[in-house]
Amino acid sequence: MLKKVLVAAAILTIPAAAAAHHGWTSYDDKKVIKVRTSLSDVKWGNPHGSANVRYKNAIWHVVLAPVARMEARGLTKEMVGPKKQVVLEGYPRRDGTREMRIERVTAGGKTIELR
Amino acid sequence: MLAAIGDWVAATPFADWAVSNPYAYPVANTVHVLALVLLLGGIGLVDLRVMGIFRTLPLQPLSRALVPIAATGVLILAASGSILLAADAEALARQDTFRLKLILIAIALANVALFRLRYGAVVADPPPGGARLLALASLLLWTSVAICGRMIAYS
Repeated sequence: MLKKVLVAAAILTIPAAAAAHHGWTSYDDKKVIKVRTSLSDVKWGNPHGSANVRYKNAIWHVVLAPVARMEARGLTKEMVGPKKQVVLEGYPRRDGTREMRIERVTAGGKTIELR
Repeated sequence: MLAAIGDWVAATPFADWAVSNPYAYPVANTVHVLALVLLLGGIGLVDLRVMGIFRTLPLQPLSRALVPIAATGVLILAASGSILLAADAEALARQDTFRLKLILIAIALANVALFRLRYGAVVADPPPGGARLLALASLLLWTSVAICGRMIAYS
């Protein structure tokens, strides 16, 4: 009985799961993007930080990590401020949207893992 | 219309705080999960009992103990959920999973109202067939709400 209930509940949400894109699985870690650049429109906020970046002659949306995690690991808003050179390493969205999720950032001489 | 409400919420000082305070979101997230335990743990057991499982447990003391726990869970979920929502209101208001979750919550609450109207605060034991059906609906609905909630981060 309980099993049937759980199966039914899971089936109810399949359309939602099929549209997923925010977990790491929605990004293609076989296509590593590594870019030295500076970030614009930095949003230092939750649920995760974000920014824009110029990459291959287009504006890409950059997905960072939750603020508390980044700060705990030593990445501050100032380190990714305007005109600050950083190295981003991340992966593009599988669906072709110009969005990259960042695995690690090198800024101010430090490399910070975001996962 | 939901999109317009989302944009309005995102522009409030409350949303500003939910986004920029480094701890508001993770704490609200944690509280949200704990409150979900109160809700599902509480009402889930009562639902199973009404459906006819655990018949050796006396239904009336069980519901008197667990229904208020579940209701407390709902209130805490609404409060913590409003922080999670405010931090990402523009995107969430346009997201199908979040919209589905809102609809399921509305149906689940209507199901609560229907159950109490038809069978009172504490249902007779053994519960009539209709009550058992509504209990099954309750279990399915709240579980689905929880699954939608978790899937919002991946939609």
